[in-house]
Amino acid sequence: MRFELNGKAAKVPATLAGDRLLWVLRDHFLLNGPKYGCGVGVCGACTVHVDGLAERACLLTAADVAGRSVMTLEGLGSGPGGGLHPVQQAWIEAAVPQCGYCQNGQIMAAAALLNANASAPAAEITAAMDGVICRCGTQPRIAAAISLAQQMLRKPA
Amino acid sequence: MPISRRSIVKGLGWLGAGIVVTAGGAYGVSRHLALPYRGAPTRADASAWLRLTPEGLIEIVMPRAELGQGITVSFRQLVAEETGFPLDRVQAIQPRTDLLSPARATVGSDSVKDFAPLLASAAAALAIVLKHAGVVDGKAPPAGFAALATNPRLIDAAAFQEAKPVWLMRDHQRLIGKSPPTDGIHAVVTGTAPLYADDVRLPGMAFGAVLRPTRLGAVLTSVDDTKARTLPGYLGLHHDGGRALIAAESRGGLEAALASLIVRWSGGLPDDADVLAAVDVDSGLSNGALEHVPRNGRFAPGEAFDLDLRLDLPMVAHACMEPRTAVALFSEGRRLEVWTGTQDVTFVRAVLAQELGLPRDHVTVIGCRVGGGFGGKTLCTAELEAALLARAFGRPVKVQWTRLDEFREAFHRPPSSHRIKARLAADGTLEAWHHAFRSGHVMFTSAAMGPALQFATSFVGDPGVLRGAIPPYAAAHLRVEFEDVRLPVHTGPCRGLGAGPNIWAIETAVDQLARLRKEDPIAFRERILAGRWPRLARALDRVAAVADWRGLRSTEERGYGVACGVYKEMSYAAVIAEVTRERGQMRVTKLWCAHDCGLMLNPGQVKAQVEGNLVWGIGMALSEALSLANGNVAQTSFADYAVPRFSDVPEMIIELIDGGDAPTGAGETAIVAAAPAITNAIATMTGRPVLQLPWRADEPA
Repeated sequence: MRFELNGKAAKVPATLAGDRLLWVLRDHFLLNGPKYGCGVGVCGACTVHVDGLAERACLLTAADVAGRSVMTLEGLGSGPGGGLHPVQQAWIEAAVPQCGYCQNGQIMAAAALLNANASAPAAEITAAMDGVICRCGTQPRIAAAISLAQQMLRKPA
Repeated sequence: MPISRRSIVKGLGWLGAGIVVTAGGAYGVSRHLALPYRGAPTRADASAWLRLTPEGLIEIVMPRAELGQGITVSFRQLVAEETGFPLDRVQAIQPRTDLLSPARATVGSDSVKDFAPLLASAAAALAIVLKHAGVVDGKAPPAGFAALATNPRLIDAAAFQEAKPVWLMRDHQRLIGKSPPTDGIHAVVTGTAPLYADDVRLPGMAFGAVLRPTRLGAVLTSVDDTKARTLPGYLGLHHDGGRALIAAESRGGLEAALASLIVRWSGGLPDDADVLAAVDVDSGLSNGALEHVPRNGRFAPGEAFDLDLRLDLPMVAHACMEPRTAVALFSEGRRLEVWTGTQDVTFVRAVLAQELGLPRDHVTVIGCRVGGGFGGKTLCTAELEAALLARAFGRPVKVQWTRLDEFREAFHRPPSSHRIKARLAADGTLEAWHHAFRSGHVMFTSAAMGPALQFATSFVGDPGVLRGAIPPYAAAHLRVEFEDVRLPVHTGPCRGLGAGPNIWAIETAVDQLARLRKEDPIAFRERILAGRWPRLARALDRVAAVADWRGLRSTEERGYGVACGVYKEMSYAAVIAEVTRERGQMRVTKLWCAHDCGLMLNPGQVKAQVEGNLVWGIGMALSEALSLANGNVAQTSFADYAVPRFSDVPEMIIELIDGGDAPTGAGETAIVAAAPAITNAIATMTGRPVLQLPWRADEPA
């Protein structure tokens, strides 16, 4: 099974094709970004981008992404500009993370939304971010970081 | 005699060390554990917290785990302040048992209060050693550093004697009071470096799991893994005592194998098991006084009170986003290394050594960044499971609990039930206060205590249950009595311990007293504080000012409530909540908080802790509850256990007070005022106090 992972061609052995994409990303491709939080698509800690859309890696099998493009947190900053994605920069600037475990999901959800529409209105932000749970209580800083990222995305550097 | 039993407990270090060993239930892993004594840290301990690297860096071996509270960067700031090193030349590694003497668990919000002074002394002593060696401003003479770096007795008693820490001198602070980026933030936002136990991957590593009963406490009677043995990558079944564990080469294989097993259990909790009935305060009081009476004012039978409230709180979950995860590696058959995100590497090592029959110095527990702790990651669970499997299958094994395991097999904040009666004198002062409550255990739980120790501690009263129950208000006649009830479910410490429930009950009652008197609830509180706890009164004043309290008017659709509290007699918070009724539901639409933990090493991280506490208060007030059904915890995922989500969290205005006091702690202070401020806001809309958590639209009048 072949797919694109963080901009590069990748191959999954047939024996793993039926496994959750999350396990394949973490254990076969040794990626740290997507995290296991609930396994049933409720918490969002495992969020990745599939063809640019935020998806739950715990609910997909590896076979589900055959021929498609998967991006994880690790690949987010590897765009044309290199370095960090504006959402990642904003996350650092707003000092968002506490324990940090959920932040993969927060950042990937926010990045998918803002990549599609940097001026996403509040209702869309709420809809996107309500799907990702943070137990530490970083929501106020997530809100601040999203505003910051929107500013960065609207005026190209 | 209670005295002798108290001395037994004290001798074990449970009281003297502030009770550091914690929690649990019927895991059966550590019934007869000899606990490592862990008193307050000493200079000898502290001298091992600081090392030099050959590259000319100072390295802190953290005595406290990073749970997201920012303690790592705060301690780096402290050490850089004392040594004159630039912050980026002071690094830190997470707690590990081969580099630390037995250390207290990272609990109690006391890392800064109890560890920072000693760390500052050690760093100041190190600065003297470095000065003598010719190292100035972190710049070493070319040859000097390597020799210093290999000296195991780098910081000696003489240097400690000479050391004069400067961190508390506010005029001299260079890094204290600043908020530089936290450790690991780049790795958190990029995923490009391993941080958590699940990021640990070893060659040949397998994945394991424990078979979980459908009912809590059920006994395994048989396992048939015939079908699993036909699956690729299945490694087999391992029995250890009453438990059965399996391992497989991949997580997908592990899930398939688990699904294919035919497992039979017997016994366990009955269908009608109920923890709320078990802690019913009134049935306890019907037998006379409760077991423990820390304030023994006496009231006549049938004495009249102005207020008599029955208040109830459910069991709640820590719900850390990172489930318990550990990786275990045996080498040479007798040396064990375990990587885990734990609040207590020392305790984990002690349990592993005992359960596996290894000398303690053959077991190394390597702490990883903890993906949320909140008091929940204080036992040895996934660590032992991984170690048993690693030994059984002769290869490294990772065990990661499922979310279902977290809800069912982890321990939780116990439920509690309270009765508060109070009476005001004609002049409006608080004449009588009687608070009786029953709760499941918080500290004296069965995981770390054999039956004998449970017996001994039962005469002392669980200090975790008691926390926060002595009101800050001046009452002429004061009675506080409580009972810790042994429950058939796993309970233990959870953010704030008893202070969350107890102060919610107290602040609900105090607010109702103000309502009965038609007095402003802030003015009322300040009056009945009667000059006690001036920092609490100041926090009330400050929150009233930032919220423009006098300009706020509650209606039936929008209410404003206030509450305040003292945490561990060291930190202070006052919260005002704005709650808006939306389609029959209550939504918190704004929060103000004034918070005082004295000097702040890193105010940005203190503020983050306050924010987190306020969010926890929202969940505690409006949504979080665990219940039992069919002999087990009914909640199985975040779909039926609702923690606050993005849109549940409103704007927060936080005032951090630094009135020149010594530093204390911020990890669990604001939660004590947040939940009651929210329910008191609801009470202003409905005209009656919220008597049960979480608030429900259909709460009986």
